[in-house]
Amino acid sequence: MPVLRQIIDVLAQGGDRPVRRLVAYYVFIGVIVFALVYFVPSVGHLLAGKGLEPTQNTTQLLQDGLSKKEAAHAVLAAGSLAELAVATLLILLGTLVLMLPVSWVYMSARRVQGHNQSVVQTLIMLPLVVAGVIIVVQNSLALAFSLAGVVGAVRFRTTLRDTRDLVFIFLAIALGFAAGVESLAVAALLSIFFNFVAILTWRYDYGRNVLTPSASAQWAGPLEALASPTGDHIVPDRDLVLSLTPARADVLADRFERVRDVIGKKKKKARFNAVLTVTADDVGQAQSKIESVLETTTKRWRLDEVVTNVGKPSEIYYLIRLKKIVTRDDFLTAIRDSAGPVIATADLEIGEPAAEEKSDQA
Amino acid sequence: MKHAHAVMLLLIVASATSCRQRTADADDQASQVAARKHELVKRLAKADADPKKTDPVAMWIMPKELKEISGLALTPDGNVLAHDDEIGRVYVIDPRGGLIAKRFNLGESPPHGDFESITVAGNDIYLLASNGKLYEFQEGADGENVPYSIRDTGLGKQCEFESMVYEADSDWLVMPCKNVKDKSLKGQIVVFRWKRQGPDSSRVSMFTIPEAQAIGSNPWKYLKPSDVTIDPANGNYVMITSHPDKAIIEVTPGGKLVRSQPLPEGHNQPEGVAITRDSILMISDEATTKPADITLYRWHPIRTIAQKVQ
Repeated sequence: MPVLRQIIDVLAQGGDRPVRRLVAYYVFIGVIVFALVYFVPSVGHLLAGKGLEPTQNTTQLLQDGLSKKEAAHAVLAAGSLAELAVATLLILLGTLVLMLPVSWVYMSARRVQGHNQSVVQTLIMLPLVVAGVIIVVQNSLALAFSLAGVVGAVRFRTTLRDTRDLVFIFLAIALGFAAGVESLAVAALLSIFFNFVAILTWRYDYGRNVLTPSASAQWAGPLEALASPTGDHIVPDRDLVLSLTPARADVLADRFERVRDVIGKKKKKARFNAVLTVTADDVGQAQSKIESVLETTTKRWRLDEVVTNVGKPSEIYYLIRLKKIVTRDDFLTAIRDSAGPVIATADLEIGEPAAEEKSDQA
Repeated sequence: MKHAHAVMLLLIVASATSCRQRTADADDQASQVAARKHELVKRLAKADADPKKTDPVAMWIMPKELKEISGLALTPDGNVLAHDDEIGRVYVIDPRGGLIAKRFNLGESPPHGDFESITVAGNDIYLLASNGKLYEFQEGADGENVPYSIRDTGLGKQCEFESMVYEADSDWLVMPCKNVKDKSLKGQIVVFRWKRQGPDSSRVSMFTIPEAQAIGSNPWKYLKPSDVTIDPANGNYVMITSHPDKAIIEVTPGGKLVRSQPLPEGHNQPEGVAITRDSILMISDEATTKPADITLYRWHPIRTIAQKVQ
């Protein structure tokens, strides 16, 4: 994939605009296919499809099966097992090559942030399966009925979050069909046309109700707040923003919720100023040892969370406010002296130095 | 833009080279056919020198459209007619040069069916479906859609057919059965003969050959004819069988078995047979693990005087 990315970079002249990169990808694939058809003309049948293949009305020299020179070609001649295998392989490869950009478009050109990974993988795999099924069924009515019976026994019920996901799935099926009937040219046009339409409708926010805020507007406020509550940094970390799937955003929100007590409400002194993180195999014993130390070294403390792990030490989190006379080193030394044999690690994150650092910078 | 120009240039150069290559191929075709015919003559002479050998003298690989090649039939001008198993389209092949000379269709939209055999009867050509129906037409030009008519022999109720040949002397269409529906004929190779014209009462005749006699000492289970032809040298009916055992059987028109031997190695699914006036045996094979083909052998006719049955 890095090689492919580099090639596309070169062809797109380093541009990161989706349309340009798509054009670069299709041009690259087009050149490869052209070369393949030029050197192995029979590959052209896979592009045209049987149904589109006109009857040849000119004389045709047949391959000589006894000629050693032509015998090598004869192995791959029409109807042979090798031909079938090569054709099937080319069809599946072609399907994969044409579905890759569709999956890229699916992942990037979205109205809301985040995409369903299982849909992405389905987009890659579904057309391969469909193409395989079509190759098997071909023109056999009996096989088609059998297939309907077999498929009928398997229930496919899933609710897709976005209507557009459904369209992508339909495209995957259509592309698989086209490839399966050896009409890779149709599949290619389908892939190209669909991708550009999808990119352009996304790019220009086609069909947006004027009363509905745009996707970027919906995200601008929250992201600005996330970047800097004071408004110092208007543009947040781009990678962070792009990686914010709903699941990750939930985790982040959960973490904010947990540390809110540490930070405290605006203009009020925080109740806690540090987080103690301890890992231990025996949680109960570790807790009793640690809490005896907390009683003597802190003004107040609260057990925040216990994460029980299997196969590795469990994690214990405390929210604490240290007494002014107790330093971080003294505190950790006391913890280790008291609970050393029963804990694996202990660490203390103090909020106040960070706040001081921030005020120094200002 | 430099890259775009380079790609365009590459495409133009490749297209031009491709066109030039195709023209050269067309020019080269005639000389290749001539060379092949010359080579065939040499191989036939070699085969004549050692009649015990059964090496092929030529083998032509069929294109994809003929991967289910079924019957073969010789035309008066030395070409051979071939057809696909499923569609009413006929191919005229020069068997000595390995060249498809032309193709023509039955009607505007070629009929689909289970076409099993083809034969030439004077100016008429017959294509046989497995249910005993005959598609009658005449040879067309390259790419022509020729008119056709369908004639029912009425034998489909008694037999599933896969082979047919026209016997000019008697005006019979000789049609061996692949599967006989009459249980009393089990263990027999059944050959129907159907007159193209005449009263219904004398139109059909039949003779049988005991299957056990045809099998002889060979390790075969049973024999189902997949095509039949007439040896021009003696007028005998020469049948080939495909599944499960590959054999060649020759009987006189009187029904006497005169030859029963395995087919040469390498025939996975032989479906068509023809013998030329200069004793070249042609066998067509459907595509299986290898592509469909027509294989040519030197044929050594049995020098007997055929006894004809009226």
